[in-house]
Formats: sequence, C-alpha cells, structure tokens
Amino acid sequence: MRPRPPAMRTKRRYILARILPYGVQVDQKQVYLAVIEAATSLLGDAASGLAQPAVVFCEGGYVVVRCRRGTEKDIAVALATVTTVADERIALRTVATSGTIHALRRRMRPIQHLSGDGEVKIGETYFAVYRYPRQKVDLVEKGIKHQKSLFFTEGDLEER
Amino acid sequence: MKITDAGIHPYPAGDSTVARMALEAAGLGFDSVVVIGDAAHRPPGIEVLRGAVIGASSVKEVLKRVRDPAVRRADIVYVDAGDISFNRAVVSVKEVNVVRSIHATRRNAFDHVAARTAAEQGVAVDISMAPIIHLRGTKRQRALQRYADILSLQRRYGFPLTISSDARSILGQRSVREIRGLCALFGMTGAEVTEAFSSVGRIVEPHRPVRVVE
Repeated sequence: MRPRPPAMRTKRRYILARILPYGVQVDQKQVYLAVIEAATSLLGDAASGLAQPAVVFCEGGYVVVRCRRGTEKDIAVALATVTTVADERIALRTVATSGTIHALRRRMRPIQHLSGDGEVKIGETYFAVYRYPRQKVDLVEKGIKHQKSLFFTEGDLEER
Repeated sequence: MKITDAGIHPYPAGDSTVARMALEAAGLGFDSVVVIGDAAHRPPGIEVLRGAVIGASSVKEVLKRVRDPAVRRADIVYVDAGDISFNRAVVSVKEVNVVRSIHATRRNAFDHVAARTAAEQGVAVDISMAPIIHLRGTKRQRALQRYADILSLQRRYGFPLTISSDARSILGQRSVREIRGLCALFGMTGAEVTEAFSSVGRIVEPHRPVRVVE
C-alpha cells in the first residue's frame, strides 16, 4: 500500500516525560497501559480515541508519548494522573512537547548515578542507598518485591 | 507574588523528607511550600511555612485546639471541613486561615452563607489536587463537581482559594503547569490559578493600612 502524501497524514505531537523515581525499571507496554488507563479515565473514551495516545519510546528514565496535534495539553494533564505502572509507584513529569522525537532527544539529560552507595538502617529496616545530583538520596528497602522507598537528601541522612 | 504549594505532608507522615520535597517543589516552579506537621528543618532556596491541621467535630473543639502551642506556632491554621453548620461557624473563627478537605464533605456543606462569611473574614478554601490525581471514577467526578461548585461561589463572593498538592511523597507533587491543567478540568482559568497560588502569601502577610507606632 502506498503511503499517504504528507499533506494528508495526521499531524502528531510528541510529549517527553521524565519517570520518577530515578532508576525505576518499567516496561514500555506497561507504561502504555497506564497512560491509556489514565487518559480514558480522565478524558473519556471519545476524547482519548481522538487523541490516539501511544508510547513510542521508554528508556533511560524518560518516556515519549505520541498524540494527535491539538490534544497534547489534554494528554499532558492525563500524564499527571499516572501514579502506578504495574504496581510500581511512579510519577511522570512532563518536560517538553515537540513535533519531532529528534527535538525531544536533545532535551533528554541522562540521570547521573553518583558513587557512594551503601546501606543504612532506619528503624528496624535496612535500606540500600542510591545517590543522585543536587544532594538527592533515594533509599530502597532491601527485599525481593514491593520494597518501600524513602526519598531523603544528604543532609537528612547525615542527621540520622 | 509567591507561588505556594499550600500543603505537603513530609516524613514521617509520608516517605519524603521536608528538604527533599522542598527541593522538588523548587524544581517544579514553586517559591514556597506549607509543611503540615513538623517543619523544624528549613532548607535554603525555598520558603518553608509551617501549617497545622485541626480535625474537629464541633466548633467548641476547634476553639479549644487553636489555643494549643503547636497550632499557635503555625503560620497557617487549617480546619478540616465538616457539615453545613460546622462550616458556617468555623469560617468566622479568627484564628482559622483555611478550610480544607472540602471534597470529602456532603454536597452543599459549603454554601453561600459560609462563602459570604469566609469572604468577610478572609478565610480561604483549599483545593487539593490529590483526589484528582489519585482517585478514579465516580469519586473523582464528585470531587470535580465540588470544586466547580466552590469555584462558582468564589467568583460570586470573592473569598480566597488555596491550591495544595497534599503530597505525601515527591511522587505526589506536581508542577505549576500540570496543576494549571488539572484545575482547568473544573473550569478554573489561568489567572484564577495564579491568584490561588499566591493566596497563602496574602494570608501570612495581609495588606493592612500602615500603623503609626509611637
């Protein structure tokens, strides 16, 4: 089948969002399902169907969501209501909207994981320490699944 | 004009510390945050205000609780909304600054009488983003209806509104732009959102005529 001429193609917009917390591993399909559920729940079937949201890219702590031009604001609002992906607590922070993925790739800054990881005990629980720039420290409970996470700073950790 | 998140619940109520949530709020475009609970640690770079919440079943209890030292130390005093008679009475208590959890009350619990009194006394009504972000289905629809109702009363009587993320984690915090979009769902305009963000600043430092101190 011949592709449609450019003037007849649907105009698209791409939304770049950062995935929080840092270092969380999420599957692209699971993110897609979470985005679709959030958009359908917030905007309804009709508006979501017209917006055609889809996840085209999901790696390195970023996700790129495609939608029809003119609906990007609605989809960005729907992304703000995504709270879990496959039972994992996450948040999607919208960074930029563009007409090309190439432009969005320039906005992606790799999240630097600083050295100095270790272990800390809070109460009766042991947490693995992950350090990030701007004094951010994520504590992930040691265990197999459904680990609790705490979000501290270097200063908070030193006080303990 | 300060852009304030009018309510966050840091560790140990939530899973993120005051410093981390303040850092996150600064990155999301806020100038100040109101910490509900203990805010002994005040990180640099962003103003951290102290908020105290009074959850009471009667106005008598509210009047008793506002005399607590912890509540007196707070910059902003919140009261959880209740039934219609409670809300009408509580907005006329001088020490109360904000009525919150309005989405959890019955329909018409905050009516035109309470709205008029709130406008006269300068008591604000808090709009929490948490029900819009975390709830789904009829519960979220009901919250949006209640907020639209509050907005129509605010437009008529002019009482202040505050907007809070009610976040217990950095994952619950949202940017100024995202909150603008979420508020647009119940018909709030960009100018109204900006006004609501700056209400906390006006509550803390109200515009009063200059007093001559001799």
